[in-house]
Amino acid sequence: MKTPILEMKHIRKTFASTVALGDVDLNVYPGEIRGLIGENGSGKSTISSIAAGMQKADSGEMLYHGKTWTPGSMIEALSGGIGMIVQESGTIQGVSVAENMFLGETKQFPGPFGSIDRKAMNTKADEALRAIGIQNVSGATPMAALDFQTRKLVEIAKVVMKDPEILVVDETTTALSQEGRQILYDLMKRLRDEGKAVLFISHDLEEIMEVCDTLTVLRDGAIIRHFTKDEFDADQIRTSMIGRELQGDYYRSDFTPSHWNEVAVELRNVSFGEALEDVSITFRKGEIVGIGGLSHCGMHPLGKILFGAIRPDSGEVVTGSGVRITSETVAMRENFGYVSKDRDVESLSLTASIRDNIAIAGMERYAVNNFLMLSSREKVYVDKQIADLSIKCADRDQSVSQLSGGNKQKVVFGKWIGRGSEVLILDCPTRGVDIGVKRAMYQLMAELKKEGKSIIMISEEMPELMGMSDRLIIMKDGRITKEFERSADLSDTEIIKYMI
Amino acid sequence: MEQEAILRKYKLRQRLIDLLPLAALAALFAILCITVQSKGYRLDMYLKIIFNEGVVLAVVATGAVFIYTLGSFDISLGASTLFSATLGVMTYNATGSLPLMILVIFGVAVGCSLLSSVLASVFHIPVFVTTVAMMSVLSAIAAQIITTNGGAVGGISIPSALVKPLDNMGFKIAVLAIFWLICFFVFDFTKIGRKQKFLGGNPVCAQLTGIQVNKYAIIAFVMAGIGVGLGAFLTLVYTPSVTATTAGSIGMNIIVAIVFGGMPISGGPRSRIYSALVGGFSYILLNNILKLVIDSNIGYGVSQIVSAVFFLAVVYVTGLNYRSQMLPR
Repeated sequence: MKTPILEMKHIRKTFASTVALGDVDLNVYPGEIRGLIGENGSGKSTISSIAAGMQKADSGEMLYHGKTWTPGSMIEALSGGIGMIVQESGTIQGVSVAENMFLGETKQFPGPFGSIDRKAMNTKADEALRAIGIQNVSGATPMAALDFQTRKLVEIAKVVMKDPEILVVDETTTALSQEGRQILYDLMKRLRDEGKAVLFISHDLEEIMEVCDTLTVLRDGAIIRHFTKDEFDADQIRTSMIGRELQGDYYRSDFTPSHWNEVAVELRNVSFGEALEDVSITFRKGEIVGIGGLSHCGMHPLGKILFGAIRPDSGEVVTGSGVRITSETVAMRENFGYVSKDRDVESLSLTASIRDNIAIAGMERYAVNNFLMLSSREKVYVDKQIADLSIKCADRDQSVSQLSGGNKQKVVFGKWIGRGSEVLILDCPTRGVDIGVKRAMYQLMAELKKEGKSIIMISEEMPELMGMSDRLIIMKDGRITKEFERSADLSDTEIIKYMI
Repeated sequence: MEQEAILRKYKLRQRLIDLLPLAALAALFAILCITVQSKGYRLDMYLKIIFNEGVVLAVVATGAVFIYTLGSFDISLGASTLFSATLGVMTYNATGSLPLMILVIFGVAVGCSLLSSVLASVFHIPVFVTTVAMMSVLSAIAAQIITTNGGAVGGISIPSALVKPLDNMGFKIAVLAIFWLICFFVFDFTKIGRKQKFLGGNPVCAQLTGIQVNKYAIIAFVMAGIGVGLGAFLTLVYTPSVTATTAGSIGMNIIVAIVFGGMPISGGPRSRIYSALVGGFSYILLNNILKLVIDSNIGYGVSQIVSAVFFLAVVYVTGLNYRSQMLPR
């Protein structure tokens, strides 16, 4: 029997009114990739973040190589041997890649008169980036110039260059393209082969079964079961996660493309920098249009252009009734809704309550004379969204920052669906949400389609694009390379050909 | 059951935290009464001074809450008050018209405030930066006018008989109450206030929710400008003269007052309009208590240090409370 690198005993943690962890014991052994899986809010991120020094447990004990482990910060934990790649953005925008990577450690690059030798720092950063296979980013590059995926890769390089004994990877793969994922998988395997350990958190059961050696299932802040590789069984794991068997279809069960005749919105010859080149698409009412491609194919800016958040260099976005979408305000007036990929920055105000976040977009639905805000009417409006979407919360006044990723995403959905958005632009709508929530979201999308809403789903997840779309548009280098109609015969290998 | 108990405990704690600023105000009031009486001074005189100082700070701070809610600062509010009062006095002395004086005071106050926000919007720089520049410019112009027309020490003035009928508690309470109620209504019961709070919490998300950043910033500055105008007028009602130092410390005092009143310094959804009222009077009470307790020769410096320490402590405690509520992202 191996001796664990890390022993966590009777760990308990509460956030305000939420019990995140009850009384959790977890051991991490050398030479293993241990998956942590569970519904949103099950406590996966909390237990791993306590190990990595992001926060302290209310009670319990941790032993690292048999000695008491009480890291005061993530930097302290990393220098002690436990590093974590967080779920959302863990970098600082206003400085360079190298400055992010050596944050708080620039003293190791002394320059003249107490300054920093930036050249040496950038070179060291370049080496660390290349070491994990990132070729196209340099240490001198401003962080703000990088997209979400590349920022994540920089974060990975930052943690790995410290040679941690335990690497915590918290729902990182959903932010990465296939290429980025491969970099991470190779890295995890290398660490395991070197006798180190990886705690890998993901909602993708297929991925976790492929990559991990052992698996721990959490539910409602408690450990439900540990699985060894030979015990891996998708149905059993799912049942352990949610405490019941999943009923009904996951994706749409029909394979016939359908839509109403009316045009909802049209992109006409839109170009934007190097991201988009002469793109024209017509979206109809009652239709789910999937837009897929590699991360940099231009699909993410396309979503923002549709919502008026980015002005294209040329071309226009026009609604079915002929209104040009020139700003977010016009888009809102025309009943558009936009769910951003970067949820915590662009879709939610984390300092606000669930009530504030849901109510803000739908004020015209309940305000008296579109002006006077009455608490009683607002409560009814917000409570309906909470009930319809089964948002797991203490009450409507709870801060969204206290919610798990999936419940945050439900709040974002509630914000746009509650106001009756006719055109919904969903950029990676199921990023970081568990299978139960995913299924609920797919069912909701199918319902909205029936009601005649136009849904534009931008996604890097091939199964959901194929499973939900009436029409699937594939993009590459800012151009449309292929359009597929919904069909039972669609294969991902056929689609991928047009992406790469 | 355990979850319900934790929720109940949490809500109770939140309610207590919400009541802390009011409790602090009551405690400071009690301490002042005890201190004044133990020193054998006249309590009514002290209460009158505190009321007159507090009402100006509370009025200007109430308007300023709209700016602070956006996560911005306006350091020029004191200079704007001085500048508006100066031009008001000059107008009265030139025309002999009280309505015109009032009109000029409000016009100048709102104009200065608007100018700060428009400059920030045109040049795409933080509002705080433009207000720093405005503070220097307005103070310099007002000082020049005062020095040229009445001397730096004596200042310029209007006849005291003109505003004497208004120099009473009833009028000032009415002004404060009406303005506060209007602000309260706009802040908590209209789309304007709700959008401003959301904007302060996350401007990027607000913009992607169709909220026009510039429009709501301008509305905030107009509200603050009205507060400055009222503050300038009440200052003239209390002392019908203006010197180069009039209202000089209001800009900084507002920041402290709003935080004392329980509003987060970063603004956003947890902003409260009553923070200005409670914090304004708390701050004036604290200052006066310190003046009474500490030796008069070193009193000013020490009281400033004590206020600063108190301020940092309040910001730290509120920040700590918020940070502990964050789930890992």
